[in-house]
Amino acid sequence: MNDDAGAEEVLTAALTDTGVAIRPAGPDDSVAGVRPRWVALPEATEEIAALMRVTSAHDLAVVTTGAGTKLHWGHPPERCDVLIDTCCLNEILEHEAGDLVVRVQAGVPLDALARALAAKGQELAIDVPLEGGTVGGLLATGIAGPRRFRYGTARDLIIGITVVLADGTIAKAGGKVVKNVAGYDLGKLFTGSYGTLGVIADATFRLHPLPTARAWVTATFDRPVTETQGTREDEKGVAFDTASVDVADEIRVIVPAVAESQAEPSAIEVDWPDVNGPCVIAVLVEGAAAAERARAVQDMMGEKAQVADEPPEWWGRLPGLPGLPGPADRAGDEGVLLEFRNVASRLPGTFVGPFSTAATTGTRPAVRGSLASGVLHVALPPGTEPAAAAAFVGALRAECEDAGRVVVLTAPEEVARRVDRWGHVGGLTLMRRVKDRFDPERRMSPGRFVGGI
Amino acid sequence: MTDAVLTRLAGLFGELLPADAVITDPVRLRTYDCDGLTYHRATPGIVVLPDTAEQIAAVVRLCDEYGVPFVARGSGTGLSGGALPRTDGVLIVTSRMRRILEIDLQNRRAVVEPGVTNLAITEAVRDQGYYYAPDPSSQQICSIGGNVAENSGGAHCLKYGFTVNHILGLEIVTPDGEIVELSADDPGYDLLGAFIGSEGTLGIATKITVRLSRAPEAVTTLLAAFTGIEAGGQAVSAIIAAGIVPAAIEMMDALAIEAAEAAVNCAYPQGAGAVLIVELDGPHAEVGHQFAEVERICRESGAFEIRVAASAEERAAIWKGRKSAFAAVGRISPAYIVQDGVVPRTALPEVLAGIDRLQEEYGIRVANVFHAGDGNLHPLVLFDDAVPGQGERAEAVSGRILDLCIEHGGSITGEHGVGVDKSRYMPKMFTEEDLDTMQLVRCAFDPRGLSNPGKVFPTPRLCGEVPGVRKGVHPLVESGRAEQF
Amino acid sequence: MDPELIKDCVHCGFCLPTCPTYLLWGEEMDSPRGRIHLMAQHVEGTPVTDEMAGHFDACLGCMACVTACPSGVRYDRLIEETRAVVEREHVRAPEDRAIRGLVFALFPYRRRLRAMRLPMRLATRMRPFLDRVHPSLGAMAELVPPPARPVRLPPRVHALGRRRATVGMLTGCVQSQFFPRVNAATARVLAMEGCDVMIPPRQGCCGALSLHSGRDARRFAKRTIAMFERAGVDTVVVNVAGCGSSMKEYAEVLRDEPEWAERAEALRVRDLAEYLVELGPVARRHPLPVSVAYHDACHLAHAQGVRSQPRELLRGIPGLELREISESAICCGSAGTYNLFQPGPARELGDRKAGHVMATGAEVLVSANPGCSMQIAAAVRRSGKGEMRVAHTAEVLDASLRGLGARALGRA
Ligand SMILES: Cc1cc2nc3c(=O)[nH]c(=O)nc-3n(C[C@H](O)[C@H](O)[C@H](O)COP(=O)(O)OP(=O)(O)OC[C@H]3O[C@@H](n4cnc5c(N)ncnc54)[C@H](O)[C@@H]3O)c2cc1C
Ligand code: SF4
Ligand code: SF4
Repeated sequence: MNDDAGAEEVLTAALTDTGVAIRPAGPDDSVAGVRPRWVALPEATEEIAALMRVTSAHDLAVVTTGAGTKLHWGHPPERCDVLIDTCCLNEILEHEAGDLVVRVQAGVPLDALARALAAKGQELAIDVPLEGGTVGGLLATGIAGPRRFRYGTARDLIIGITVVLADGTIAKAGGKVVKNVAGYDLGKLFTGSYGTLGVIADATFRLHPLPTARAWVTATFDRPVTETQGTREDEKGVAFDTASVDVADEIRVIVPAVAESQAEPSAIEVDWPDVNGPCVIAVLVEGAAAAERARAVQDMMGEKAQVADEPPEWWGRLPGLPGLPGPADRAGDEGVLLEFRNVASRLPGTFVGPFSTAATTGTRPAVRGSLASGVLHVALPPGTEPAAAAAFVGALRAECEDAGRVVVLTAPEEVARRVDRWGHVGGLTLMRRVKDRFDPERRMSPGRFVGGI
Repeated sequence: MTDAVLTRLAGLFGELLPADAVITDPVRLRTYDCDGLTYHRATPGIVVLPDTAEQIAAVVRLCDEYGVPFVARGSGTGLSGGALPRTDGVLIVTSRMRRILEIDLQNRRAVVEPGVTNLAITEAVRDQGYYYAPDPSSQQICSIGGNVAENSGGAHCLKYGFTVNHILGLEIVTPDGEIVELSADDPGYDLLGAFIGSEGTLGIATKITVRLSRAPEAVTTLLAAFTGIEAGGQAVSAIIAAGIVPAAIEMMDALAIEAAEAAVNCAYPQGAGAVLIVELDGPHAEVGHQFAEVERICRESGAFEIRVAASAEERAAIWKGRKSAFAAVGRISPAYIVQDGVVPRTALPEVLAGIDRLQEEYGIRVANVFHAGDGNLHPLVLFDDAVPGQGERAEAVSGRILDLCIEHGGSITGEHGVGVDKSRYMPKMFTEEDLDTMQLVRCAFDPRGLSNPGKVFPTPRLCGEVPGVRKGVHPLVESGRAEQF
Repeated sequence: MDPELIKDCVHCGFCLPTCPTYLLWGEEMDSPRGRIHLMAQHVEGTPVTDEMAGHFDACLGCMACVTACPSGVRYDRLIEETRAVVEREHVRAPEDRAIRGLVFALFPYRRRLRAMRLPMRLATRMRPFLDRVHPSLGAMAELVPPPARPVRLPPRVHALGRRRATVGMLTGCVQSQFFPRVNAATARVLAMEGCDVMIPPRQGCCGALSLHSGRDARRFAKRTIAMFERAGVDTVVVNVAGCGSSMKEYAEVLRDEPEWAERAEALRVRDLAEYLVELGPVARRHPLPVSVAYHDACHLAHAQGVRSQPRELLRGIPGLELREISESAICCGSAGTYNLFQPGPARELGDRKAGHVMATGAEVLVSANPGCSMQIAAAVRRSGKGEMRVAHTAEVLDASLRGLGARALGRA
């Protein structure tokens, strides 16, 4: 006991010696239920490096957090000694408006960044479906919102990065010019890596001018799916009943027409709070002559469609109950949140998958997300029976087969234990090899990522 | 590598591939000795022309087994010597793998083999109103596999992004001969993003899923003539400041215009010291609106003549001069170097002034053609190889231009890649730590360093067998030819 | 092989996608860029090896690469010089030598060709046997059109109406033997458009076959120049793409003999379509309700840059619907003597072209080269999809000017 306490003191001293603000971790600091021993608050890239050298020397495991909005995503870490909180790395380092480029530290809150850019008539064209996040969190999870259809995601807009590796090496890649093919693109590699390769210190993004105008066209569809009862004969000529589920003809016609139309929508989103009920489809058009183009979309979407210059209140938010997700360590009492991609069958898969799966597993999923790019979020309400939730995940994967991907973003322990969080991962062996090179001692968010990386 | 090993390998390849797909005749081999950058040459040890991914995997596995380096080649149009062969190695050429495997317009994607040319994809879907967006000037011939390796861009990348933004999935053969699928839709590390632009050093792409884009409703192309390059640059800044993202903004200076006139009679306005080509595309309403704006800005910045293409032919006529510019300088100069550097758009005036000074200092002419929208310069450094010393001076100017780019926070290459040609500039742009970190990726994919060795990175480096565990000193390290990593 | 010409190649590869052999085999050595590289190797001292000669022989001489090249490489001159070197320095296999000897002894001489017509007909029936002996003999037999009744043209055809010009006309060796009606149509069209047409009798070969195969063409060139000088014309209209392109090169062929080169310069050579567009139409076009696919003969489109004129003339005919053939810049594989020496690839290219032609659904295939028409018609026949009606641009114009109706077109 004494020895342990002694060792703890030595470590605390070593960490404090770096000059970085260190405090002991409290219960509120847990990472998906795992409580770190210290929280470090570095203010500069050099400070992160100093910390990493100490953790390297003493074999301490490290998890990085921004505002903590997505800290409960992914597996709980196998171990966590130091939580690096990037809150004090909150400077916008460079914004040369004429170059449409910004370089920011990882801890900069996204809303603060948006305000600063808007003052110059520009924006980082990623809609994060959660409030309060930071640049680092956005990058580590690679999350994106409605306008991914037009602008892509963080990996498409990042042009430079500075990272600190497990051993304290500071490395950068890319630069501050949009067009650049010198060297490997570490920015993309770190985007969506859940903190398992190193600490992102700052990043440089390509910006877009704020659109001069925006308009949303929304329409409600009472029955997004149709069920057809029929009979068929098997090879022996014996008749049997069949039921087939399909996306409603209306939607099947309208959505592709809008997506391919020359009105050039920036996003096409669906909100389907209950798969047994109606859904709302909303289309965003931006830029010059937005109003005119919105009218063209309205014509395509039928009489019920309405044009507004404000988004519907659910726009660009995660599905599920109000209040989800909550503060950092609420994984235990939250519902299940899935990311659901329809790789090769965007439209029918989006509707038929959750609908059929809900019926067979007795669950009540809520669906929201991008119809145009086939990336949706599916939420199961808190209190969903863990077995049913697990069954839902499995059944949804089976339903969409090769054409879809289901990733469990958040899930209560009980559910998490029963499911394969990540599903199919191509190139896992290569990913393990990458991890081995960057973090051979497995100290960076160990176990949080695909294949237990 | 001894000849005996190569002979043995050639025999083994012969058992895997059709007879005409393994080339060992020296005269034939030599035709593969360079890509679009002809001053680096090396005759490959063996050339193979595989037909399938399985054949590539089998060839690579044998290379791995025998420790023989291999280099992938598409159409050999690269401008940085990326496909420069190894005399002691195997050149794997994808020019027979040119089938379009699948076109899925509903989901806006196509699956193609690596040897398919960039333009062939667009041609296959053009009638349906789609296209493949990245458009390098070499699009009629460069292979999509080469595009993936170089993360190629083109004039229209200003608005639509580069190859990496349009690739949805890859099938690759890893340097140890495994066939692996990488998809933008799978969770996990963005290995797709890491592979694209890695110049063949992380393996060979054998199947490529590309995003198809909807052809825009309206396209307007405008040519504005200015008396000098400064005024043109000012117009570019003003257009961007006005919140307009054109599909393309290209600029040419007086010398480049002269060359283009000589080659293709593009008939640009008389007396122009610079021309700006601005292309706007998108919905009719939007383009119309932006066009008025761009025209006003050009006039206010001093354009003395503005032409607007009214038809596809007129648009082609405007682009003709620009697109032929590289090859065209061959008509005003016996030899030239095509440089490729990037600077922040706001630093353009300073850098151009710097290039002017270099011209005077070295007595070498430089023609400037550039993607002004994203600060990507293509200075064409002209010289006469018959005049002693001129080649060296041109080489020096070309290098100094890259220094200028780095000084101004730019890059040593915007689209042509590092290859063999620019690896020596990498340490000027990146620190040793940066490069070592990139090497980690290399070692993960290719621990033995057999996939296109000697490209991108300045010093050949070896990856330790197991991280942390170092065995005896490697002979290459001992002899000073490599550093242990 | 002129090293200066070789140096013009910047190795950009822009010519690759239009090269038929690169399209077939996807190898560098059988692309224009690769062949130029081989030439450079030879210039640097590598002797002509069997492999090297094989890659030069495989070149169709279609000159699509010349059109595609942005840096103005004169591949046409390079390959001619190269072929001459190959002929001089390279010893071919005996059977190849025999076939080449046969073709060059035959084709440039109209009397020998005429004598061949009967045996050729016989040969058609013996095709399977010939194929076995040597594929080239088989190919020769397959290509032969049914023998045509000879048409004797007068030495001078008078302009109809006001005379606008006096021109000479080349009748061509293969053309006059196998497609005499094309020559008749050409003469009529010129006359109806107001030209006096001088047709020197006993015209020999213009030298095209030799020139394109690396044999000395100077003798043929001089004869032809002298012949038209005697006829008193300064403009010669040619209706065979291959002949037109080589006549346009006379000055270069004769560059070592300045006096002759000057005489060559003085002779204006024009393709029929090119000439008619320059002249401008006066004769009345009668409607010709027919769909035609226009095939760009390489020696017209690539070697002479004549692409828009034939299309313009065809579009000028009321009722005629012009359809474009995809991959129009790619050679059909006929390429002069190519289908005789390289029957394999020639056949593959022919099949490919025939596929594209049939895909247009056009009723008649129009081109300005008898070789191409023969080649594509043979490929269509091989595909088992019936007979393709073929016509020369001149015949289509003739039918319209004379108000013959569409049915007359392209029927034997
Ligand atoms: C006149 C001219 C204009 C050009 N314009 C542009 C331009 O506007 N924009 C631009 O970006 N580039 C341009 N380029 C450069 C060049 O065309 C591109 O880099 C192109 O992507 C190369 O394609 P390729 O098939 O010729 O590849 P190659 O030259 O054969 O190879 C290039 C690199 O890719 C690797 N590689 C090839 N195939 C594969 C594969 N299947 N898997 C893995 N690695 C592979 C090779 O090893 C090599 O490192 C131009 C070149 C020329 C000659
Ligand atoms: S002439 Fe034709 S076949 Fe010969 S190299 Fe040129 S394009 Fe190829
Ligand atoms: S296009 Fe011209 S310059 Fe380019 S490789 Fe071909 S011949 Fe050479």
